[in-house]
Amino acid sequence: MDLELSEEQQALRDGVRRVLEEQCPPALPRAVHERAETGLALWQQLVALGWPGVAIDEAHGGLGLGAVELCLVAEEIGRAVAPGPFLATATQLAPLLQATGDAPLAHALLRRIAAGTVTGSLALAEADRWEVARVACRARREGEGFTLAGEKTAVFDGASAEEIAVVARGDEGVGVFVVPGSAVKATPRTLLDPTLALADLTLDDVAVPAERVLIAPGLAAERAVERALEVASVALALATVGACRRIFELTLEYAKLRRQYERPIGSFQALKHRLADMYLSVERATALGYFAAATLAEDDPRRAEAAALAKAEAGDCQRLLVAEGLQLHGGIGFTWEHDLHLWLKRAKVGDALLGSAAEQRARLARRLGLVAA
Amino acid sequence: MKLSFEAGVEAFRREFVEWLAANRPTEAERAAEPARSSAHVPDWARRWARRLFDAGWLVPGWPPELGGRNVGPVEQLVYLEEMSRARVPRTTNPQGLGIIAPSIIDYGSEEQVRDYALPILRGEKAGCLGMSEPGAGSDLAALATRAELRGDRFVVNGQKVWTSGANYADFCFLFCRTDPAAPKHRGISVLLVEMDRPGLRVKPLPEIVGRHHPDLNEVFFTDVEVPASQLVGKLDNGWAMASGSLAHERGMVWLEGVLGLQASTGRLIADAPRWLARMSETERAGHVDRIVRSWADAQAARCLGYRGFARLVRGGTAPEQALMKLMSSEARQRVALTGAELQGARGLDASAQEGYFTEWTPLEQYFVTFGGTISAGTSEIQRNIIAEKVLGLPRG
Repeated sequence: MDLELSEEQQALRDGVRRVLEEQCPPALPRAVHERAETGLALWQQLVALGWPGVAIDEAHGGLGLGAVELCLVAEEIGRAVAPGPFLATATQLAPLLQATGDAPLAHALLRRIAAGTVTGSLALAEADRWEVARVACRARREGEGFTLAGEKTAVFDGASAEEIAVVARGDEGVGVFVVPGSAVKATPRTLLDPTLALADLTLDDVAVPAERVLIAPGLAAERAVERALEVASVALALATVGACRRIFELTLEYAKLRRQYERPIGSFQALKHRLADMYLSVERATALGYFAAATLAEDDPRRAEAAALAKAEAGDCQRLLVAEGLQLHGGIGFTWEHDLHLWLKRAKVGDALLGSAAEQRARLARRLGLVAA
Repeated sequence: MKLSFEAGVEAFRREFVEWLAANRPTEAERAAEPARSSAHVPDWARRWARRLFDAGWLVPGWPPELGGRNVGPVEQLVYLEEMSRARVPRTTNPQGLGIIAPSIIDYGSEEQVRDYALPILRGEKAGCLGMSEPGAGSDLAALATRAELRGDRFVVNGQKVWTSGANYADFCFLFCRTDPAAPKHRGISVLLVEMDRPGLRVKPLPEIVGRHHPDLNEVFFTDVEVPASQLVGKLDNGWAMASGSLAHERGMVWLEGVLGLQASTGRLIADAPRWLARMSETERAGHVDRIVRSWADAQAARCLGYRGFARLVRGGTAPEQALMKLMSSEARQRVALTGAELQGARGLDASAQEGYFTEWTPLEQYFVTFGGTISAGTSEIQRNIIAEKVLGLPRG
């Protein structure tokens, strides 16, 4: 088992980091926080580099790389607190389209995502629970097509995405239906971190013609959604770890520079031990994130548990890094003016979405046979 | 990034697994004479060491004359994985095989290799490592045991403590001060001291559990005469060996921690359902969460270790390696405590039998795991090392 990035993967990661350092300095997420920017200009830059299609087959105009590369881009997105449609479009909608086999609708949409001519999202959660079993939104057959009725919550880019894959329940189980963003009523949520945009959706008898049914209700649809959720979870886990790693770097730097009692505060053992624990936390979350990404790339049977574990670890990591990062920065980190809060908030958001650490551990407990499934 | 090994490595694994199945010591012979210390080599262990040595399965990365077959680090890793999976102890004198023999091979004379290193490898002799002293624990370089060169012999005076296996060992790989005037890291040398020398006294130090089979000892030296030919390497150059010897198989030491952690977590998960079944739902939830966290610790240690290993194999540096001892020793403590608390009052029962390789109850195991967080650099020292050496924080 080799969990180190290949040379090509490292080159990709370094390249993405360079571009984001240039195109997405902290001033950009800050401007989004202060409602002066949206992040769409950044998206156009990413489109020009082909990143939305990083894991989409070359046959569909993508770069033809895999889940590992997708997650590496996500990690850098988190590190830069980059706003914009990447996570929703490339790590949520695209993997679901890829999990559907050879449907013409999936082909057409993947092609447009790779070309950067469409943004999208996945509407799964209801009452903020990302679980297929809890989907109550109805899909009623109407001739060849369906009519959707119900509520979806916490949809990434829910108010701006152009194409939304809605998971809804028919008589044979859940199915997946692609509806234009304009067909649903979106209520944007005001987040503490506005660099990720969430919205609640109301589907008020939205008609879906047959050619827009991505996967008809049944077991295959359920499996496809689960698999896509695994990809989305690992990508978000690594995005969260990326933000945490930056918190760690900033805190370490500060501990070396800030002097009190005529010496750097980082020379005090109480701080050293806490920085060592922060480092350990970031490294283990990274290693489990990469392991999970590798299980996705190789379609290893452990992928579901690896994804849950990566997301749980990212959650624990942010818990420590946010607390210690803020505490060790002292007063300066408590101000709006200092950039630290950009990463702190992004890290918090990354845990609570797609299932928190506690939810992931509950899932793992079932898989390990510790509680009834 | 790859989850599997290459076909050649898997073929190597199969070859070893087959050999192991045919040659491993039987449970019966092991039960008949359990090893009582980290330097006790029962007959079955002696025969086992000899079989491993002769077949080139003792240290596969070494040449055949040293009990190996010249394979690379990836094969060595696979070998250790399989040995652990089979639950066969590779040796009953781990410090001999892991530290003393390799140090002698690297630094010692031909005669020392013939008389000490090879006999350790073949299970004919066992060694102990004389390092810590009452006044030199974490700060090992402060050691004060004095070896004075008088003509053709050294005269040794002083005291060692926490010396594992000294009560069974044939000889001691002894760190001592040969130049008291030099700065503390210089002026240290290593001597090979036969344990039956006059003036050498061993006093076992019964441990927190299993007091009838102590492995730790105090070792007292009163005018112990040691021939000058027993000096390993150069005079006053022992510190290089202290850091050097501790680094032997350092590329692999992490794996023992990880495999041990995985094994104890696996046992916990297998054993947990019958205890959980007795509990109320709320009570169960807390236990289940701790068990899942322990499982996560084991997975994390494994992934972190393998990631660092992959970097080393590629010739890079792996700062993660500095994290491994801290991480796996503390995780083992948590898993043992979780297991003990899961059993409630039943977890208070003592083991019916005890020996050096006893399967302790979780509560006993919990106490034993403090050996891991205290010895070979306490967790606090590990955090200092990480902070200063890896993160570059200034010394206080």
